[in-house]
Amino acid sequence: MQTTLTNGIAEGQLTNAAKLANVSKDQFRMSNGIRVIDYQPTSRHAAPSNRYYLWLILPAVIVLACITLYPFFWLIWMSFHKVDMMRGDIWNNFANWRRLLGDRSFGNGWYLLLKYSAMCMIMEVGLGVLLAVILNRSKYEKALVTLFLMPMMMAPVVAGLVWYYLYNSTFGWYHWLMQSAGILGEKSILGDTGTAMWGIVIVDVWQWTPLIILITLAGMKRVPRDQLEASMVDGAGDWRNFFQITLPNLYPFLLIAILLRFMDNFRFIDALLVLTGGGPANSTKILPTYLFDVSFQFFKLGRGAAIALTLLLVTIILGMILVKVFESPAGKVNQEGN
Amino acid sequence: MASSDIVQYQTPLRKIGNILIGVFLAIYLVWTLLTFLMMFVSSLKDLLEAFKLPAVGDWAGVTMFFDFTPTLRHYENLFLDKNFGTYMMNSIISAGGSAIISVVLGSMCAYALSRTEFRGKKDLLFWIISTRMAPVVAVMVPLYAIFRNFELVGTLPGLILAYTTFNLPFAIWILKGFFDNVPYSIEEAQMCDGANRFEAFVSILPLVAPGIGAFLILCVLFGWNDFLFASIIGSGGAKTLPVATKELVQPQNIQWGSIMAAGVVTTMPMMFLGLLVRRYLVTGLTMGAVRE
Repeated sequence: MQTTLTNGIAEGQLTNAAKLANVSKDQFRMSNGIRVIDYQPTSRHAAPSNRYYLWLILPAVIVLACITLYPFFWLIWMSFHKVDMMRGDIWNNFANWRRLLGDRSFGNGWYLLLKYSAMCMIMEVGLGVLLAVILNRSKYEKALVTLFLMPMMMAPVVAGLVWYYLYNSTFGWYHWLMQSAGILGEKSILGDTGTAMWGIVIVDVWQWTPLIILITLAGMKRVPRDQLEASMVDGAGDWRNFFQITLPNLYPFLLIAILLRFMDNFRFIDALLVLTGGGPANSTKILPTYLFDVSFQFFKLGRGAAIALTLLLVTIILGMILVKVFESPAGKVNQEGN
Repeated sequence: MASSDIVQYQTPLRKIGNILIGVFLAIYLVWTLLTFLMMFVSSLKDLLEAFKLPAVGDWAGVTMFFDFTPTLRHYENLFLDKNFGTYMMNSIISAGGSAIISVVLGSMCAYALSRTEFRGKKDLLFWIISTRMAPVVAVMVPLYAIFRNFELVGTLPGLILAYTTFNLPFAIWILKGFFDNVPYSIEEAQMCDGANRFEAFVSILPLVAPGIGAFLILCVLFGWNDFLFASIIGSGGAKTLPVATKELVQPQNIQWGSIMAAGVVTTMPMMFLGLLVRRYLVTGLTMGAVRE
């Protein structure tokens, strides 16, 4: 019944031992006198039964189903209909889906979303790993990390507004800074199709590089010391140590970080909505922004549903990869300690 | 401290390297904090002073930034004229309410999931976490349609439910990890002593209380910082701080001073709470995939 309750012996160990002895688990248990605590009640109270657990699980699952599963099926329904709040939904013969095929904004949205995510990711991971390596050997690690964390606590929409102010081409200090440094000509950062994407990427980098730093630092604490020491004894320098031992040990962490940031770029568009709203000339209209416009500016909820489903599909695939990484032997990052 | 305690020789090259590293850290730190400084200082500036800039390339003119007489009128404007007290209350109720519901239901569910095995448990767990990974805009299309039918749009209960879509899965997923770390033998001992199973459950709660408290705060943080749900589901009667802040941007008249003040008001409490639960931040933001 309760599988994990073997007198302090982990289930896995038991399985292995049974395999070695070439008998079934139960036989092994019995022949070796390992008492399985199936909990024979000594008091008048019954042992926790599966039904007891079911009652604990159920409320959360019902609430979740109501607010996610139900909307999900509703989303599928909507994608096949012309959604009309007044007259009810009308079947429109896959028109929502067919429109996507010829929809240039849709394709462009995907392209821009991937471009935006990739740009953010390259900068965040590069900067984040570099900073984590530095911080890991710094005396002031704790204090610095605390300060670096601050952007993550700011509401993305507030971050967007403050940066929007600082990017302003007539009174924005960041604009002035960049012009003075000779990086930017007469252009305004968010008003120019060539630089607007950079404008939003930099805000994302500012806000979320700390997360990469944190994950990398957590990963670096798990790099086996004996490997590092062995390689030191072999005369490897810092660089070789980093590339041959630290970095390979960090891969699962980095992969998790990258997948999460990708999903978050799909998830949140708060800062972007404030900064450019998709403009200028659609140069930053990444798919979620386009979806937002279709659904809540033009109120084409049916078409929005079709777009949303494509976005969901890709996110779910990313999520499945994430869970696989997380469960794979190489990615057993969750198991040790807390 | 991977290798720092192995004696390092201060060769000249290394010295230069250390200086470069220090400079890089300093630049990054300034970059991180500058935005906060700008927000805070601008919230105290009068309109005319806020728009003053030195000429391009006039680096000495940077001092102009600090050359102003501080005023609190933007904050007064927010709370006296703009009703920010109400919006703050809305934020507290919606973020707090959802956090409480999520943590209560979540810890029950997480506890049970941690203590029992059944077929399809993995699938259930994946489904739970997948609901948190879903793009907010995608979820919102149907949620908006449904909430409209139930007349939940523009109400605080609606907003609380909407926040629960991302807080509850997160609470279940993370808290399960906490309960997994508590050995079952503790409850067992309690039950042998005659406690019933509910009392046994309660008896282990103090062990996970710090974690539960931290995740309550993280859930508040997520709800508080949300903008998309609040702007669509909460539009009308349940305006929260981020939405109210965004609404200060109007086509003809952008009240920058008030926006910066609102930014400070929105950010400060979460900054405080966030740093309080710093230790759990990685776990929380990565859905438990990485623990510090």
